[in-house]
Order: sequence, then structure tokens, then C-alpha cells
Amino acid sequence: MAKSGNQIEKLAEAPVEFVKDGSAFIQKCKKPNSKDFTKIVRAVGIGFLAVGVIGYAIKLVHIPIRYLIV
Amino acid sequence: MAGFRLIELAKPFLPLLPEVELPYEKIGFDDKVVYTIIAALIYVFGQFPLVGMAKAPVEEVSSPVLDPIYFLRGAFAAEPKTLLEFGIFPVVSSALVMQVLAGLKLVKVNFKVRQDRELFQSCTKLFSILQYFVLANVFIFSGYYGSDLTVFQIALLNVQLVLAGFFVTLLVEVIDKGYGFTSGSMAITAVTIATNFVGDVFGVNQLPVDSEGHTEAQGAVINLLQSMRSSHKSFLGGIVGAFNRDYLPNLTTTLLVVVLAAAVCLLNNFRVELAIRSTRTRGVNNVYPIRLLYIGGLSVLFSYVILFYIHIAAFVLVQLVAGNDPSSVIYKIVGGYASSNNLLYVPQFPLSLLTPPKSVWDCVTRQPLTPMTFTTFLVLTGAWFANLWQRISGSSARDISAQFKEQGITLTGHREQGISKELEKIVPVASTTGAAVLAVLVAVGELLGLKGKGASIILGVSCGFSLLELITVEYQQSGGQSALTQVLGVSGA
Repeated sequence: MAKSGNQIEKLAEAPVEFVKDGSAFIQKCKKPNSKDFTKIVRAVGIGFLAVGVIGYAIKLVHIPIRYLIV
Repeated sequence: MAGFRLIELAKPFLPLLPEVELPYEKIGFDDKVVYTIIAALIYVFGQFPLVGMAKAPVEEVSSPVLDPIYFLRGAFAAEPKTLLEFGIFPVVSSALVMQVLAGLKLVKVNFKVRQDRELFQSCTKLFSILQYFVLANVFIFSGYYGSDLTVFQIALLNVQLVLAGFFVTLLVEVIDKGYGFTSGSMAITAVTIATNFVGDVFGVNQLPVDSEGHTEAQGAVINLLQSMRSSHKSFLGGIVGAFNRDYLPNLTTTLLVVVLAAAVCLLNNFRVELAIRSTRTRGVNNVYPIRLLYIGGLSVLFSYVILFYIHIAAFVLVQLVAGNDPSSVIYKIVGGYASSNNLLYVPQFPLSLLTPPKSVWDCVTRQPLTPMTFTTFLVLTGAWFANLWQRISGSSARDISAQFKEQGITLTGHREQGISKELEKIVPVASTTGAAVLAVLVAVGELLGLKGKGASIILGVSCGFSLLELITVEYQQSGGQSALTQVLGVSGA
């Protein structure tokens, strides 16, 4: 992405260039193998659910409060 | 505008605004975890219903004003008709907008000067509170809380919404100032989204669904179990209903959300590993990862901030100025709102181009142009922001190479002068590509009719990842000495 150059030409070329650079980059990326991936998903899932359950428990406390004040 | 600086505007307010003081001593790892989680939970607990709304507005008025931003709520942890009507949107947007303006040099700040930094911070805070105030009044006067409010009710609603917003601003500041894992808004978003997700899947609270007094559980899974043995539905009808009810979360959307979350996990682990070696000791080789999602979920957040502004502006024009009247000029130019299920306001034609459809079917029949415009909008704003952000946020190619020099590291196969150039080839591409890929993912999710849940889960997971990364680094730096991990029985995070 050159900083100089014709503005309009740059504008027309930008998306093409962008897609080309982007897909080249993704090709170069190191991807996790399926074993790593399941490990990550499990870790994230457990964390997400644990935090969510605590939060939801707090939200449940709200239901009787709502009845009291509304 | 020579000599005038926007941040000077905050000066008279400086003594008035309460500020969280920086911690006197370094906060330990455990304390940080506790601060972060408790702050986020306080936020969740703050979702109290508002006092002073007109009672039962639906029956009195023939065309009540409904929620115009339902699909944006998930991303900003906003709960309708509670104290947190606008969630953390004003906090997030003011922080992002101010940073972007400073990055574009539209607001002149010298971050090396202490006073400038303070002013900038106060200015951001003021801006956020101002937004709470403006948004609150837009909603009040549009009739969202009922059409004929007394002066007292208006004042009451104002006080509630603005004070709650002020409180949230400070809550975020507590985490941001080093008591917790930055940033505060990320922690709050992640926790709230996790909460909503659990509520949507396993929520046991019963909500009324029809006039006969039947109730259904909020959670999709719980609902499936209940409808299998409920008396007023057939077994098969119950199962079908659990998959396609559209008034509450159903199993189909839940599955889609899970798939999206997994996709973000996958993308988050795409990275290019650069071989590095130490210039001081021989034979020490390592890799420096550059992630595809270089700036995480921030680009999506930015796109959504812009979307929010557009939709609020449209809401002001259509509802406040034109009264949502189909015959007015504004309605014809901008588009109006149609109510759906007496719950949501669905934007009509021109405005609907930037609104995710309510379902796949709607998308094909009513909004055939939306997939293109919506996706393009997300990709363009996301990529533009990502490119800007990697330059201004202290993780640009030049910053990294300066960091390398300081630590005596160099890229294998490059001279020291070449590092910056080599990184310059990788970092901007990584951040913009990552943002574009994430934007496409959000667009796909939203176009399938997730009503904001797609964007929110993607944000939630990517914010979660950013936090997790910080926590891991901090944990390793603290030497793994943590009472919390010992209690929880985690070994070596």
C-alpha cells in the first residue's frame, strides 16, 4: 500500500490488493491442529459458562426484587 | 481553530468530576482478578427496572414507541427498560471516538504531558456522561417510556439514567486505572454476554408468552424439556416450537451462536510466527507470534458504535421530528419503523439497509439488498479502524521494533535496520485482514437472523480472549503465586 500515487487509481486497486494481501497472509498463518483446537474450545467454553452461570444467578435474584419494587 | 484545543473544554469541570485514584501500590494478581470479576458482577446486578415509566403503555396508545436498537443491545450489554438502558455504549463510544480523533490529530493532545493526559481523560468522561444524558432524553421525549409523562416522571427518569451511566463510567474507570485487568469495558462486555448466553440457553425463569397465561422458559434447552411434557402442546409440536419460536431464544439460534463462538476461537489462533533470536546470547531462538485478529474484537465494536450513532440519529429524525408518520418527508427519505410482536421497532426501507434482518426469510423477501450493504459497511468500517488503531495504539510495527531493540531481540535473517520494514509488511495486513474476516463473520451471523446475538457472542469471545491473554501474562509474571489458583486447583494456566 504505497503512500504516494494517483488517488483514483489507488482507490480502484485497493480492494483487489487488500484481498490479495489478506488471503496471502491467511495462507501463511499457522493454524491450530484439531487437538489444540478442542483444548482451546473446551477451556473457553468452561470459562464462559462458569462466568455466565454466576452472572445468571445474580440475575435470578433480580426477579423477586422486581416483584417487590414494581 | 488555531490555538484552540478541544480538551481545554474539560478544564472547568476538572474539580467537579470525581476521579478514581491510581492505586498506591501494585495490585496483586489475586486482587486484580477479584476486582475485575466483582466490578463486572456489580454491573450485571445493576440492571434494575426503571421507576416512573407510564404503566402499560401498550394498551393506552394505538402505536406505542418500541425499541429501535434491539439488535445493537447485545454488543453493548444494554438491557431495555432498566437502569442500564444504554449499557456501556456511551463509555465505549466516547473512549473510542476520542482515541480515534486524537489519532487522526483532530484533537490535539500531547500524551507525554501529564496535564494533557488528565484533561483528555476528563474530556472522555464528560463526553460519556453527556451521551447518557442526551440518549436518555431522546428516549424520554420520543415516548419510549410512555407518551404523557409528567414533569416529575421525566426528571425521575433523567436522574436514574444519568446517575446509572455515571456509575458505570466510574466502574469502568476502576478497572482501567489498574485495579483490574484492562480494559474495564471489555471485562464488563464479556461477563454480561456470558450471562445472557447462559440465560438464553439454560434460563429457568418463566415468561408469559400468550394471553391465555401460558408461560415458557427463557432458556432454549429448558424450554425444549418443558414443551416435551407440557399438556397444551403435542410432543412433536413442542419440539418444533423449541427450534423455531421467535419471541424467545430458540435452539436454532443457540446452535448458530455456539458455532460462531467456535469460529472465533479458531480464528483467534491463526497467527504468523516470526523467528527471532537474541542479539546478546548466541543460540537463543524463539518465535514472536503476530495474530490474525491483531486488535481483537475492537474493530467490531467500532463498527457497532458507528451503527448505533446512525440508528439513534435516524430514530431522532423519524420519531422525534416526524412522529413516525408515513406521510412525512423524513419518513420517505430515511425510512420509518414498523412494530413487530409489540416488542420491537423494525426499521423500513432505506434505514433497513443497515439493519440486520429478523430472520433468514425476512432477509430474502423484505431486505434483499441488506446482505450486501450491511456486510460492506461492517468490513469497511472495521478495516479502516483496524488500520488506524494499529498505528495509534502503541503496537505498530515501529513500536514493536523499538521494543525488540530494547530487549535485544532481532528477527532471524534480518539486520537490525530491516526489522521495522519487515514488520511494516506484516502488522497492518494482519490487523486489517483480521478485522475484515471478523466483520464477515459478524455479518453472516447477523444476516441469519440472530438479532444482535451473533455480534455479541463474537465480541464476548474475543474480549474473553484478550482478557485471558492479559491474565496469563500477569500470572506468569507474578511467578505463579496465587492463592486463587491453588484454591481452584488450576496448575500452570
